[in-house]
Amino acid sequence: MIVCVAVVGHQNNPLYIQSFTKADDSLKLHHIVHCSLDVVDERVNNPKKSGLIINETFLGLLNPTENYKVYGYLTNTKVKFILVTTDLEVRDADARVFFGRFHTAYVNAVSNPFHIPGKKITSRKFAERVSTIVKSFGLSSSS
Amino acid sequence: MEEYPEELRTPPVALTCLVGCPEVHPLITAHLHSQQPPINAIALPDFSKISVIPPKKPSRDASGPLAGIIKRDWLSKHRTRIPAVVAAIFSSRDISGDPAQWLQVCTHLDNLKASIRGRNTKLVLLLLTNWDNKDDTSEECILALRKRAEVDSKNLIIFVPDHEEELKQSLSRQVPFIVSLSFKVFGLWTVFGELANTYYRDEGRRVRTRLEKKNYTSIELNVRYCFKVALYAEFRRDWLEALKFYEDAYHALREMVGTSTRMPPIQRLVEIKAVAEQLHFKMSTLLLHGGKVLEAITWFRQHTANYRKLVGSPEVIFLHWEWLSRQYMVFAQLLETSSFNDALYVPSTASVPEEKPTEWEFYPAYYYQLAATYLKEKNTCLEFALSMSVDVGPIDGSAESVVASAYLGQYSRLLEHGDAFIMQPLTDEEYARYALAEGKRFQDSFEIIALLKKSFEAYSSSKAERTAAYCGLQMAREYFSLNDFSNAKQMFDSVANLYRREGWLLSLWEVLGYLRECSKGMSSAKDFIEYSLEMASLPETTGSVESFANDCGPAGPATLSEREKIHKEAFEVSRGDSELNSDEQNGAFKVKSDYPLYLEIDLISPLRATLLALAAFHQPMVKPGAPSLITISLRSQLPINVEIDQLEVQFNQSECNFIITNGQKPQIGSVSNLQLGRRVETAPDLVLATNKWLRLTYEIKSDLSGKLECIYVIARIGPNFTICCRAESPASMNDSPLWKFENLLETIPIKDPGLALSGQKAIQVEEPDPQVDLILGSSGHALVGESFILPVTVASKGHAVQSGELKINLVDTRGGGLLSPREEEPFSSDNLHVELVDMSCDTPGDQSEAPSDKIQKIQPSFGLISVPSLDVGESWSCKLKIKWNRPKPIMLYVSLGYSPQSDEPSLQKVHVHKNLQIEGKTAVAINHWYMLPFRQDPLLPSKLKSVSETDQAPSLALNEKTMLIISVKNCSEVPLRLLSMSIETEEKSSTCTIRPQQEEFREAIVNMPGEEFKKVFTIFPKVNSTKLKIGTVSLRWEREQPHSNTTASQVTKHRLADVNVELPLLVVSLECPPHAFLGSPFLYSVKILNQTEMLQEIKCSISDSQSFVLSGPHSDTMLVLPRSAQVLAYMLVPLGLGSLQLPRVSVTSVRYSAGLQPSTVSSLVFVYPAKPHIDLKPGDA
Repeated sequence: MIVCVAVVGHQNNPLYIQSFTKADDSLKLHHIVHCSLDVVDERVNNPKKSGLIINETFLGLLNPTENYKVYGYLTNTKVKFILVTTDLEVRDADARVFFGRFHTAYVNAVSNPFHIPGKKITSRKFAERVSTIVKSFGLSSSS
Repeated sequence: MEEYPEELRTPPVALTCLVGCPEVHPLITAHLHSQQPPINAIALPDFSKISVIPPKKPSRDASGPLAGIIKRDWLSKHRTRIPAVVAAIFSSRDISGDPAQWLQVCTHLDNLKASIRGRNTKLVLLLLTNWDNKDDTSEECILALRKRAEVDSKNLIIFVPDHEEELKQSLSRQVPFIVSLSFKVFGLWTVFGELANTYYRDEGRRVRTRLEKKNYTSIELNVRYCFKVALYAEFRRDWLEALKFYEDAYHALREMVGTSTRMPPIQRLVEIKAVAEQLHFKMSTLLLHGGKVLEAITWFRQHTANYRKLVGSPEVIFLHWEWLSRQYMVFAQLLETSSFNDALYVPSTASVPEEKPTEWEFYPAYYYQLAATYLKEKNTCLEFALSMSVDVGPIDGSAESVVASAYLGQYSRLLEHGDAFIMQPLTDEEYARYALAEGKRFQDSFEIIALLKKSFEAYSSSKAERTAAYCGLQMAREYFSLNDFSNAKQMFDSVANLYRREGWLLSLWEVLGYLRECSKGMSSAKDFIEYSLEMASLPETTGSVESFANDCGPAGPATLSEREKIHKEAFEVSRGDSELNSDEQNGAFKVKSDYPLYLEIDLISPLRATLLALAAFHQPMVKPGAPSLITISLRSQLPINVEIDQLEVQFNQSECNFIITNGQKPQIGSVSNLQLGRRVETAPDLVLATNKWLRLTYEIKSDLSGKLECIYVIARIGPNFTICCRAESPASMNDSPLWKFENLLETIPIKDPGLALSGQKAIQVEEPDPQVDLILGSSGHALVGESFILPVTVASKGHAVQSGELKINLVDTRGGGLLSPREEEPFSSDNLHVELVDMSCDTPGDQSEAPSDKIQKIQPSFGLISVPSLDVGESWSCKLKIKWNRPKPIMLYVSLGYSPQSDEPSLQKVHVHKNLQIEGKTAVAINHWYMLPFRQDPLLPSKLKSVSETDQAPSLALNEKTMLIISVKNCSEVPLRLLSMSIETEEKSSTCTIRPQQEEFREAIVNMPGEEFKKVFTIFPKVNSTKLKIGTVSLRWEREQPHSNTTASQVTKHRLADVNVELPLLVVSLECPPHAFLGSPFLYSVKILNQTEMLQEIKCSISDSQSFVLSGPHSDTMLVLPRSAQVLAYMLVPLGLGSLQLPRVSVTSVRYSAGLQPSTVSSLVFVYPAKPHIDLKPGDA
């Protein structure tokens, strides 16, 4: 189950962060997302060492914290997507599918003429799409 | 890692035992230790001490229940007490002595054999002998001893400690039956090592057979056997087998978790975990020391995953977290101390089927951090468990007698029964109580901080600042829980900076909440209010679910209502309405008039969102004394309206400061405290609403020229609370990082949108208009060489001139300065093209002025002169003398700085600037040429010269008069008067004579622009020289100025080029009249002068010409005597008219084969039709 998704801007500032848990752990999730940005930096700065393929947007597993798994994705405009899930058995393919859809949703949201680039995403439509994508996580490839 | 016993942390070392002959023990033990791998030895001085080796226990009753998995002391027993090899040391005297001694030896041997019977312990005999009596020991004795001890021949070593080297050489020959042995100590080590290896292999094999035959009754035994086999393998340094059996043991143990029923559940789990911990530690150590970091990490991951869920009984759940934390910490320490190098790491996904570890998993910091997290978890659970156990009653004394039992991970009660101690198993309840009591004894916070600090430093050094910040945050929370506010605040502050910069609002909210509490704890009202205001003016967190999160520390959820609450609290404290309650002893802190509160907000302060002050002047420039409009715009993001009592606007010119008071509020006392005479304005109200600009526009005047800048806007709220806000320009305003990303209604600070984008907080106050004229008297072009005089007049029209200064600058109009490109010698006057020579002034009237007042500085291109005080209407002038060395246009800048009033000389200078371009021109151009004797040519020059050389210097004939014509052309645009011209010879007058030497013109010759003036000199060279220096022409001239006669005359010099003086040896001169008449005959003669000392044969021929009838020899050869001349005369009658070519004469010297044809110019004659009626004197031409 996905517990948190985040869009992180160029200055490592959150543009959109949404947690999907009932419990009061959104702050903890914020910290997890924030810390995983270090790994993103590390991967992007040393692509060779981390075995990252050039032009690959999917960054893979960032942080296996004890109860969560964190995946990252870097768009061509250097906006980062972070996914936090509690599933301990996540297939990379699922994460890729998720990020692909999420990217499309993000592109649609920022293509809104009333959206100012670099500002937080407040679109309700985007939030709805994101929650739909989150719900369908892992279903497509297993079916 | 330190809590583990030594024997677990270090690799096991084989153990031997030395018995008898204590004098050689140190030698042997030291040697065994120093070898690689080392061997430990128990040294027993005599055979009676053999009982130290524990005898073999009787075989355990297989049917009985097993008490535990692994004995706690099993490993240490094998490392320190049960030797693999026992070496019995006898001296040679003992066996070769009397029978009684021999009997003694036999008894000792029997005892020894008895004590190691049952065990597989190997026996070695060591025969100690001396070099001197080595032969005393007979072979029979040795054989008997060997038989008695039942050892192989190779296990009997003759040991000669005092003469080792020779022993080695000699004994190998003399004692053939022990030839396979080495007699050095080295041999000792080999034998011991081999035997120990055999021992441990046999032992291991024995246990392994049981395993292979599944000859065990319970899993406990399975685990134990695996552990033993692995450990025996470790003794043998067979790491692979050790690792394999540790893994087997680990897996078997894992199976026990759900199945074993041997002990009460809590203690059972504790035991299993303790054993698992030990097994995993062994495996990690082996893997890491073998460089298999990746495998170690994978194993560790599996290990923690296996046991993380096994939290066990809720009342002792803290034990689980403590255990887990220890796993992480120990692994981190192992990772840190193992020789793993980051650079060597090559991710090999092939060997690890699962997903490969991420970056941080290779850093010990990652594990330290998690260790700290779990320790924190333990702490929380422990506190909870303690609070629950309060109603159970105080922990009774029975817990004190609980000790660790013989089995690893088990505890039991020690009961005293008379002299004997009895171990009694515990119930789970008792154990839980014991664990709680133990837990209470330790303070974990410091350990948590230490772990986090390690992690924080490691992350910081590897540039993972966010993860480091998270560690810092956890550390700070821990300090906070310890009430160590100053450390906590320091950490929180650094963390808050990162969150501020990157705009993580919820995290920042939490940190600020803690900081607020810290400052409360430290009784710092200023900090408290700063943090409160910052919190209150934070942007709202997007996503309504997020803001209601309750886990935000002491600040509570990040909601609007919470922010309003914080806002109100802060202002209550600032007004002094409420006290800042602190938990500490130093009590409450209250803002009073004794302790006023002063906040300063600068450009980087996080409080800019709380109060942002912009100042914008409406114009960029203003005249002194003229009014200008300034708009002060204030904005606050605080959730509730703030009413300001008073605003003070401060400028860099303090006279302009003014105060704006709130019209809604009665005047408060603080106004009266201010300086009298300060301008006070009243605004209808001063209320700051959330994200709305409060705009205030006022007029402002400044009398001082220069920059007028708004520096501070100071807001006073309540009697003791002041916020000093550094003013910003709207043009350079940028939003704070927190608000930058917010979708906020953009408002402009000033109504005029242009001003909102470009407004500046500073204005330039101009100088007052100068009321003094600066006149530069221009008089056209300057001439090179003369001292050009330029009058400068300062005339006061409306200002008195006080302490005036006149600055003069000469600047090359083409740039590049006034100096020639050779800048190395800037002040050598040769290089200066134009220089300021002098400044002279005529002080009007007052001559008594002290000379010290007069500043006068002259540099080649710069001058400074002080102007005397002038009253209105007065004028003063000075003359600049500028000299041009080369023709060059220059720009002259003259600036006058003065102050109109005398009282403030340092301030308010008024400046007048004037400039003038002056062109420097060459006045006269002097030219010269020589006129050689007409129709006279050298047939043979004195010297043969190459063609190029002849071009340069004109040749003059020696002892012949040559005419020199000097022409002077006026290149300037003014008439010049030429005063005199002279030629100054450089060498002695004997070289040549020039006439006239000098000529003063009786009446100055006026040379109009463009006119040319010529003067003829004669030169008579007297010395035969190739380079005769003629001299320099000096022309004295002056400007033709009708008005004044004072102008100084200038001298222009022109150096005459060097000439070549020669004495031709044969000279040909043609003589004919200057003109002829048609039909009238004239004489045309060729004269050849021979100046040599030899007779010269000369051929002479003349060509016919159509224009003339000619009489005389056409071709002739004649002889010319030395130093004499020969004349060849022709009579010509012209037949044509006009300028006619005379018949061409060609003369050749036979001796030198030198021929001459006079030039065509010199053989022209003009023929008139008839004799004109002019009186022509012959010889004029």
